[in-house]
Amino acid sequence: MAILAMALPEFLRGSEELSVTGPKVIKTFHIFGLDINFTETVVLEWIVMAVIIGLCIFLTRGLKVKAVSKRQVIAEMAVEAITNLVRDTMGKRWLAFTPYIATVFLFSIFGSLISLFGVRAVTSDFSVLLTWALMTFILITATKIKYGGVGGYLKGFADPIPVMLPINILSEVATPTAMALRHFGNIAGGSIIMGLIYFGLTSLSHMLHMQIPFLTIGIPAVLSLYFDLFSDFMQAFIFIMLTMVFVSNAGPAEDEAAA
Amino acid sequence: MKLGFLSIDIGTILFSWINLMILFFALKHFLFKPVQKILSERQAAVDQTLKDAEDARARAEAAETEYTEKLTKAKEESAEMLRNAARKAQQRSEEIVAGAKAEAAGILQQNRDELEREKRRAESQLRSDVSGLAVMVAEKVVGREINQADHARLIDEFIDSVGDVQ
Repeated sequence: MAILAMALPEFLRGSEELSVTGPKVIKTFHIFGLDINFTETVVLEWIVMAVIIGLCIFLTRGLKVKAVSKRQVIAEMAVEAITNLVRDTMGKRWLAFTPYIATVFLFSIFGSLISLFGVRAVTSDFSVLLTWALMTFILITATKIKYGGVGGYLKGFADPIPVMLPINILSEVATPTAMALRHFGNIAGGSIIMGLIYFGLTSLSHMLHMQIPFLTIGIPAVLSLYFDLFSDFMQAFIFIMLTMVFVSNAGPAEDEAAA
Repeated sequence: MKLGFLSIDIGTILFSWINLMILFFALKHFLFKPVQKILSERQAAVDQTLKDAEDARARAEAAETEYTEKLTKAKEESAEMLRNAARKAQQRSEEIVAGAKAEAAGILQQNRDELEREKRRAESQLRSDVSGLAVMVAEKVVGREINQADHARLIDEFIDSVGDVQ
């Protein structure tokens, strides 16, 4: 969590209170009678985006066909890795999805890892994950309509028998909901656990009559490896894998499409 | 003011969607387009190199065939020239030998003719000398002059009966 950027006074004080809240609302716009909140999350998203775009521009500066720089090698490897992943998971005809998959993957990873700098993770805001999951849902639906037509899409709900209609609708809604909740739950849950650990270790230090909470040194870092680094990477990977599998399954099988 | 921990916020969804799209297009433009361009350029360069190598090989093979042909032709030509030269030399030497022979034969013939002429001349000289001498002897013997013409005929008859000097 706040390992890297934890200011010294903050560290000396330790974690003395624990609150589980959503993001701060910076400003609220009233448009067409709706309350449009501009929250902390959006600002953090901008920071993440700036970092990713800056990285891309840095890596792709001065690309050459021959005698490539290390930066270019990294950029090429990244592009080829994600392209191969999409090809292997979705199939050759879905390669156009590569940039979108890369976008979600990078946004998720960097959005989660930003919590290492002592701020809220972008991905610990459920609305963000819901947005991404809804995008996946839209892509699934669009693919179904593209290959089956509107009639085929609607008929799919009564498959294999009309009685299944409610269950099919439920499963359709469950897909994005589950994806959003899984990702959100893991990241937000990890943050809460890390917060609890800081809080608990501070309390323990005070109980042992330490003025400075020495127990918060080291122990959280090890746990953070799992709850922040590993979990962040896993969730980003799971999210894009599910997106790819669901979208490509919404279309016909590879050989059918080729026929 | 803070939102709830598990709140669904329309504003955040809206902004997040816009951000997602912005990042999507940014990645497409700043990462995928240039890198894919360079990758395809490299692929094209590799293909071009392979094609060039193939062309060069084809050209080398064509050149080799051509040189082999030319070499064969040149060898044939040189052999032909050698044969021609040999034939000409042969011809020339035969001409020279023939010329020399003819010349030698001419000279020989000339010498023979000359000899013949000498012989004839000597013969006739001898004949006239002998007939004159005989007339003189007969004058001395007979004591009178006999007809010179009769004498000459008699002497010739005598010489012919004696036989050819040859």
